[in-house]
Amino acid sequence: MGAEGFGARLMRKEDRRFVTGRGRYTDDIGLKDMTHGVFVRSPHAHAKIRSIDTSEAEKMPGVVGVLTGHDLAADKLGGLICGWMIHSKDGSPMKAGAHPALAADTVRYVGDAVAIVIAETRDQARDAAEAVAVDYEELPAVIDPAKAMDSGAPQIHPEAESNLIYDWTIGDEEATNAQFSNAAHVTSIDLINNRLVPNAMEPRAAIGSYDPAEEHFTLYNTSQNPHVARLVLSAFVGVAPEHKLRVIAPDVGGGFGSKIFIYPEETTCLWASKKIGGRPVKWVADRTEAFLTDAHGRDHVTKAELALDAEHRILGLRVRTIANLGAYMSTFSSSVPTYLYATLLSGQYAIPQIFAEVLAVYTNTTPVDAYRGAGRPEATFVVERLMETAAREVGLDPAEFRRKNFVRSFPHQTPVIMAYDAGDYEASLSAALEAADYAGFPARKAEAESRGKKRGIGLSCYIEACGIAPSQAVGSLGAGVGLWESAEVRVNPVGTIEVLTGTHSHGQSHETTFAQIINDRFGVPTDTVSIVHGDTDKVQFGMGTYGSRSAAVGLSAVYKALDKVEAKAKKIAAHLMEASEDDIVLENGTFQVAGTDKTLGFHEVALAAYTAHNLPEGMEPGLKETSFYDPTNFTFPAGSYVCEVEIDPDTGKTTIVQFVAADDFGRIINPMIVEGQVHGGLAQGIGQALLEGCVYEADTGQLITASFQDYCMPRADDLPSFKVMTTETVCPGNPLGVKGCGEAGAIGSPPALINALTDALGTNELSMPASPEKVWRALRSASSAAAA
Amino acid sequence: MEMTGEYRIPASRETVWEALNDPEILKACIPGCQSLEKTADDAMSAVVQAKVGPVKATFNGNVTLQNLNPPTSYTIAGEGKGGVAGFAKGSADVNLAEHEGETLLSYTVSAQVGGKLAQLGSRLIDSTAKKYAEEFFSCLSEKVAGKQPEGGSAAGADAAAPKAAAAAPETKPAEAAPAEAEPEQKPESEHHESTFSEIEHEVEERFHEAEERLETEAGRGTLGGPWMWGLIAFAIVIVLLLIFN
Repeated sequence: MGAEGFGARLMRKEDRRFVTGRGRYTDDIGLKDMTHGVFVRSPHAHAKIRSIDTSEAEKMPGVVGVLTGHDLAADKLGGLICGWMIHSKDGSPMKAGAHPALAADTVRYVGDAVAIVIAETRDQARDAAEAVAVDYEELPAVIDPAKAMDSGAPQIHPEAESNLIYDWTIGDEEATNAQFSNAAHVTSIDLINNRLVPNAMEPRAAIGSYDPAEEHFTLYNTSQNPHVARLVLSAFVGVAPEHKLRVIAPDVGGGFGSKIFIYPEETTCLWASKKIGGRPVKWVADRTEAFLTDAHGRDHVTKAELALDAEHRILGLRVRTIANLGAYMSTFSSSVPTYLYATLLSGQYAIPQIFAEVLAVYTNTTPVDAYRGAGRPEATFVVERLMETAAREVGLDPAEFRRKNFVRSFPHQTPVIMAYDAGDYEASLSAALEAADYAGFPARKAEAESRGKKRGIGLSCYIEACGIAPSQAVGSLGAGVGLWESAEVRVNPVGTIEVLTGTHSHGQSHETTFAQIINDRFGVPTDTVSIVHGDTDKVQFGMGTYGSRSAAVGLSAVYKALDKVEAKAKKIAAHLMEASEDDIVLENGTFQVAGTDKTLGFHEVALAAYTAHNLPEGMEPGLKETSFYDPTNFTFPAGSYVCEVEIDPDTGKTTIVQFVAADDFGRIINPMIVEGQVHGGLAQGIGQALLEGCVYEADTGQLITASFQDYCMPRADDLPSFKVMTTETVCPGNPLGVKGCGEAGAIGSPPALINALTDALGTNELSMPASPEKVWRALRSASSAAAA
Repeated sequence: MEMTGEYRIPASRETVWEALNDPEILKACIPGCQSLEKTADDAMSAVVQAKVGPVKATFNGNVTLQNLNPPTSYTIAGEGKGGVAGFAKGSADVNLAEHEGETLLSYTVSAQVGGKLAQLGSRLIDSTAKKYAEEFFSCLSEKVAGKQPEGGSAAGADAAAPKAAAAAPETKPAEAAPAEAEPEQKPESEHHESTFSEIEHEVEERFHEAEERLETEAGRGTLGGPWMWGLIAFAIVIVLLLIFN
């Protein structure tokens, strides 16, 4: 490991601009003659639009134009799409309703956009938006996914009867049922995975700019994947052909999945810029809009059963989940509760048979899509709550019960598609238990008891699938895109290097970690390396960043391009030093003829490649290579988390006494950055379990947790000082041996916390977020049950 | 959601009934009321500016009166639209009972708010509604305190005045007593202002308290708590908006 290379705790290169306020976000960009757009949104969860009167608004000061869904329809702009086809168990394709960027006839959730008001200033647009008179005819709404399919529930899209989008299954139902009929013990559990609001620090924003002379559109927006945005806006929405549309995602302040998707707002801004004659239109969400319209996460209602034999080995798992997809299908929403969820239901365990059924439903709520972990937190919550519950029921130590059922030989094929390539679950569990002094817990519990406090300890052994994803595999499962990644490595004549990646960094530190890989390979200093991303005019087509894929897939593409650069550079160096190509070694930025003192600096070879005065016969000038990397398998980060809590029985307040995370992410490029990712993930997972709950008023569908006054984000004083550590099994699937670390914390932590709480409370009835009131009530019901 | 409340008004039932049906009194007493018109015997329309936390909006409201049973009870149903700020709608069953020569006004409300009012206002509706309710009822009490029901009634003027004073102790008897004469605008408005500033002060305090609570407790309580307070509080506003009819 060099000072800057693989494994170095290199400080983040991007931090200088972020901490000095010099980041350049979408809202920092101003264009000539730019106008400002404000959306008029439905205050009703479900209503017919009788009429929209824009005449007053149009007369307001500074107003440039007011556009509605009818204008959009008249221009024959396509609706937004869901890009992953899921088929129901009867073979029928999912029932996707239309999703126009501006609703013309019906609104389906509070926040559904019905018009855009464009004015010279944002305040003028806001004032004028107040003057748009929309006459709604209210319709009954359904909010609870468990009630969406009830007879008499309001019909949200004509395409989806009973609001059922698909009824999908995975696994062998008959074989699984047979396992259950042979079971010595069956544990069953009912779970709700609470809906979450992503809350990236930077709200979504977009600038649409149309150049009438070139008939060319430019979109600046807060995107995790600008090329996919361009593809969808071009091929499906039909804003412009791809070569006439440039998408730029500059600095983006956090995404967590919510900025993967193609939303109504950027679509509308692009189209509106043309409608008003080519002036750019900027829209920046305020925090309320972010709450209302950023795709939400989770929202599952699940019943799950685990069958055990007499020796406490798992025989089978049966799961039935109702997944709430909200009022419209977001870009990848169909895949989250299916292939990103049910395929991980085997957890870290050898389970002979698994059968899962997932019913996805429409409700009159904000669309739901991928959010940090995307399906895998939901799967982990089911598996790890079940494991803990089963262990308690059969009287085994939860750690022992898990050990008994771990997958121990690799590769391991689960009954639900995934083939685990490498792992050592015993290693991470042992590391976590030791760090948490698991053996000493009874003494700590007794000590807490003496102070009148309730203590509990809970485990979670998660697994996830990252490195998304082998294109052929996902294609066969219904994905509308391939999930490879691209890279271009440009060595400049002076020897500095630009790496163009199709991934996008919005907090993941690519500018640092990618540069570390170049340093590792070539020995050139990281400050001579630039990482270029986020602009479809600069960077070759790529798939963006989500699912902890940037290192495993994106850097693997870079690695392949580096191979090509190195091979060509060695040819040039060999030619210049009159040596055999096989004798050239590249170390510390110097090409050397092995065993001699003949050397050439990296920059000298680069210059030679561009002067082209003396190149090997037939070689093209230049030193720039491109690569596409398509993974052969997912990667499988896994780990064990231990959470210990103390509850004040008088107030129900939970204090997290300690939280230990032992993760196996494969090889680690920058431990400091990985720790940061784990810390962030844990905070989000603990937030879900303890604090965050997105709540709609029943029946009316009003989002009543639409600000930080009502939606509780985790803060430093809610969290302990985490103990994080890593164990390592090298990922055999990619040249770097990396697995991905961005989502693990959010995936593994909720069940660990709830398992700790239920251990302390002595009751298994506790839903997330476990607010002090819920904990207090659970404690009371547990003690009254014990008394009775 | 349902909520109930009652308020003691130092005047006869007939007087209160008339006041509740007098557009001028209502207009004067509903905080932020910009216009109020009777559109039919059983309907009114009003424009009311309301500020709930960060949400400030002008509501165009329409109200209808149902189940009229003067001077004992009626139902008011209405809806106010505040544009981007959202909407409020609901109905209230209002009952007037005689009680020791005074009137006990009680109400049962069901109300719903939507849009920004629901999204941002829910926790702040509480203090706002209390402020509005206090303002409305104290204003109404003052307006009717000295008034005789038109056409005379059993309740004597001498009885009404001291009771008004008792019910509203902050009102100086000297001001309440000569109520039979045309109302003296000056003391009344002074009184109104002082009450108003007191309430303002109280609301400010409560607002800061609430903000602090929000800082530390946001989201930790379950839904039930703050949202219900919000709704209840807003329902009071609605009652006001509705009662003005």
